[in-house]
Amino acid sequence: MIEIRNLTKRYGPVTVVDDFSLEVPAGEAVALWGPNGAGKTTVVRCILGLVDYEGTIVVDGLDARTRGKAVRSRIGYVAQELAFYDDMAVLDVLDYSAALRGLTMERVDEVVETFRLGDHRTKRVGELSGGLKQRLGLAAALLPDPPVLLLDEPTASLDAHSREETIGLFEDLRAQGRTIVLTTHHMEEMGMLVDRVVAMENGRIVTECPPGELAERLGLRVWLHLIVDPDERSEAQRVLEEAGLGARRNAAGLVVEVPAQEKGRALALLHRAGIELRDLEVWT
Amino acid sequence: MTAATSPVAIPERAEGRTILVVARKELADALASRWFWMWVAAFAGLAATLALVALPGSRVAASASFSRTAASLVALVQVIVPLMGLTLGAQAIASQREHGALRFLLSHPVNRTEAFWGIYLGLAAALVTAVAAGFGAAGLVTAIRTGGTRTGAFLWIAVGAAILVLAMLGIGMLVSTFTRRTSSALGIAVFIWLGLVFLGDLGLMGTAVATRMPVSALFAVTVANPVEAFRLAALASFTRSLDVLGPAGTYAVNVLGDALVPVIVGVLGLWFVLPAAAAWARFRSPRQDL
Amino acid sequence: MIRRAASAAAVVVLLAATPTAAEAAADLQAIVDGAEPGAVIELEAGTYRGGVVIDKPLTLRPAGDGEVVVDGGGVGTVITVDAPDVTIEGLVVRASGDTLDREEAGIYVNEPRAKILDNRLEDVLFGIFLHQAPDSVVRGNTIGAKDLFIARRGDGLRLWESHRTLVADNVVDGGRDAVFWFCDELTIRGNRISNGRYGLHFMYSDAVVVEGNALIDNSVGSYLMYSKDLTLRRNLISGNNGPSGYGVGLKDMDGAELADNLIVGNRVGVFLDNSPQTVGVTQEFHGNLVAYNQIGILFLPSVRGNVFWANAFVDNSVQVGVQGGGRFSGNAWTHEGIGNHWSDYAGYDADGDGIGDVPYRLDDLYDALLDRNPEIMLFAETPAAKALDLAARAFPVIEPRPKVVDEAPLVRPPRLPDPPFDLGVEPGPALLVASTLMLAFAGAVVGSARRPWRSSR
Repeated sequence: MIEIRNLTKRYGPVTVVDDFSLEVPAGEAVALWGPNGAGKTTVVRCILGLVDYEGTIVVDGLDARTRGKAVRSRIGYVAQELAFYDDMAVLDVLDYSAALRGLTMERVDEVVETFRLGDHRTKRVGELSGGLKQRLGLAAALLPDPPVLLLDEPTASLDAHSREETIGLFEDLRAQGRTIVLTTHHMEEMGMLVDRVVAMENGRIVTECPPGELAERLGLRVWLHLIVDPDERSEAQRVLEEAGLGARRNAAGLVVEVPAQEKGRALALLHRAGIELRDLEVWT
Repeated sequence: MTAATSPVAIPERAEGRTILVVARKELADALASRWFWMWVAAFAGLAATLALVALPGSRVAASASFSRTAASLVALVQVIVPLMGLTLGAQAIASQREHGALRFLLSHPVNRTEAFWGIYLGLAAALVTAVAAGFGAAGLVTAIRTGGTRTGAFLWIAVGAAILVLAMLGIGMLVSTFTRRTSSALGIAVFIWLGLVFLGDLGLMGTAVATRMPVSALFAVTVANPVEAFRLAALASFTRSLDVLGPAGTYAVNVLGDALVPVIVGVLGLWFVLPAAAAWARFRSPRQDL
Repeated sequence: MIRRAASAAAVVVLLAATPTAAEAAADLQAIVDGAEPGAVIELEAGTYRGGVVIDKPLTLRPAGDGEVVVDGGGVGTVITVDAPDVTIEGLVVRASGDTLDREEAGIYVNEPRAKILDNRLEDVLFGIFLHQAPDSVVRGNTIGAKDLFIARRGDGLRLWESHRTLVADNVVDGGRDAVFWFCDELTIRGNRISNGRYGLHFMYSDAVVVEGNALIDNSVGSYLMYSKDLTLRRNLISGNNGPSGYGVGLKDMDGAELADNLIVGNRVGVFLDNSPQTVGVTQEFHGNLVAYNQIGILFLPSVRGNVFWANAFVDNSVQVGVQGGGRFSGNAWTHEGIGNHWSDYAGYDADGDGIGDVPYRLDDLYDALLDRNPEIMLFAETPAAKALDLAARAFPVIEPRPKVVDEAPLVRPPRLPDPPFDLGVEPGPALLVASTLMLAFAGAVVGSARRPWRSSR
């Protein structure tokens, strides 16, 4: 459904996306993962034709450069900031979006129903909570019932409740067989729900794999801050070092560096040694 | 709800329908803004007041006093209308870009030409509405106070003001396409306004006084300024001839003859067309990142 | 052969159809020649051939209501009067020749005491030309002009050494001047002169009274030259906007008096060039409304001896100008404790006597610059020019010497003179309709823009 070949984007001397190629078959959900500045959002903007680029992007058999309007008619896009049109009413935003796509107002009413926006239709966009804005963004993106969805940091600015809600919506979207590309800069819930994660750094693809294998593939390590009683700290340190995990003590407990996919091992070691763990923090 | 797969035929060229959708939204936005109504109120209020005070109640002087009302109205238009058009135009693209609204718009099956002319058309409609409201108010007061004098000249000035405001909108939008931040776009717009309305004329006056620059040059440089072109075109409608403008006016009348008014209107027309076209050319270029 | 016979028959029929016209055209000179001196000739309606010379006192007038046309056929003068005491009344005089140096006219009078009354002159080079015809009356005539470039037109009305003539209630449109050479004690009253070069032009004509005339849309309303003791009162002088146009121009005049005139909407209201020309002579200007002119009063620098009082100077772009700047003094703006009304007077009248408590001073920087640099007239009324004055007042680095100091300015305008004519400014509905439409348009746009994409919610 989406073919990106040798995509390169430079802003002056800075190369933001560097020879990026990706193929997303119909129905697949892909997460572009990487730190801020890795070039994820730029890839999305290239697909939408918002920025100029080198390389080729083909969506549903259409070249994004020459058939931009046709390509965008197949894409629902939820932007990262969602700060558009603060002074417009919810319904006006949806009406506008529908009018731009030549859709009927009945379709807007359907979407309002589906996304339970009925109570908020006359509210100004600026008054909406983050979760509602997200819902509005998704509602607008789904107005044309698009085969392709581009979600830019869909859970970045959401509280826990809204995040849960968004994840629910996301599962529905996958079940509908849509092709989805989302970007995220930390692998939490949403990132785990995709078929494939594409890890990016400095505009290049670092690795591609199912989400569960990502940590191992990347050799990611985390620091566990283990809070234990002072009189058990030296014992705990000994147990961990014997198992090959470097640990050092600090004022509240121990800091242990472990591979990201082996966090449970340190806890199991302490448990087996009968050392009571009072609390735990994960530092990445 | 199933994902649509059948490709819809969407022409890549600009479609009038899409332009109109964008235009109507821009118009609705402009009319919903408090700033816009302050402009309208200020312009209409001042215009009506001018019409009210310009006449000491002597009917015989109605025709002549119309010239007076018209001259004051022209001066008012010179100050307010360019500022209105420039600031609205300068904000148009820059602020939408700043707020991500432009990205939202262009993530639809809308191309940049459609987006640009939609925005232009919507703001143009809003500005022409403001001008019509201002002239309507002034005209109503004049009509009630003096009867219908010089309706043709009055309408001519109104049309001139409408063209002027559109020319300024074009310049403002050109500024807007070159600026990333709304605040700097506004700053540049206000500076251009100062230049066109005050500094340019003052500079020319100073140059004329200090260097005795030839009237031909004086006239040419003056008429190149769209705000001045509007004033001269307006003057030509309610004084019989630009001779009233002293040696430079006489020069223009003698050299250009019957072509004088077409030349002035042509200059205004160029200002109406060229900046907007340049802004469009820049905005539609795929090299422009959003 | 057959065809030729047919055309001949047609000609005969045409001649037979208009016998009176054909005979009359041949006969007006014969009618005049055949009349006794002092006869009253009443002419049947119809067209008479011009080039008529009247060499005895008599009266020509129409017999009834029908139009009597004397047509010069575009050659020479239509009617020449070579005898005193001739009256020409109610005719239509048409189509003189167009040679300026032969002074071809509609009616050319060479003898005294002519009465030229209620005629209509069309397509004539000169209209009515009185040459050494004193004590005549020219009244109620309507005088048009030939459609020529203005410099090639003749004068609608020209009087030469025709003293004590009354020129009244004529309407002159589109001629060059109405000009008076060496004519003393004329009375010019109630005429309406428009679209010419100099509306009323006086050369070496003393003790003339000009009152109640309307001089509209000429290049110069009234140009007074080389004359003494002329009185110009209650005239309407408006829209005289030629390149060097004036409402009233005074050149080398002595003892002119301008009173109660409405001088509005001209390029220059009153232009003073070496007037009064004799040291010690005073000219008075009072009760005039000088309004909406580009320049209210324009002086050449050396002019002195004029007194202005009880005038209203209203909203002239430049109230008083001095051409070329320079020293300017010796004119008075107050007379016996009464000054003038100035629309830009910023003072106050605490004691309520109608006289401002601080003098009116005219000292705009832009005006001062303009006097020396007339080319910056291009910027009159611009926000920039206003800003210049404002700045000069706020930061008086350059303090221009006041051109005018009126010690007793009137805070309210004096009673305005009544116009001698209704200018025909109809309170028509056009502007009302146009402005209502504009407001309706604005309203419609606002109304329609409320809910762009759906008709109802």
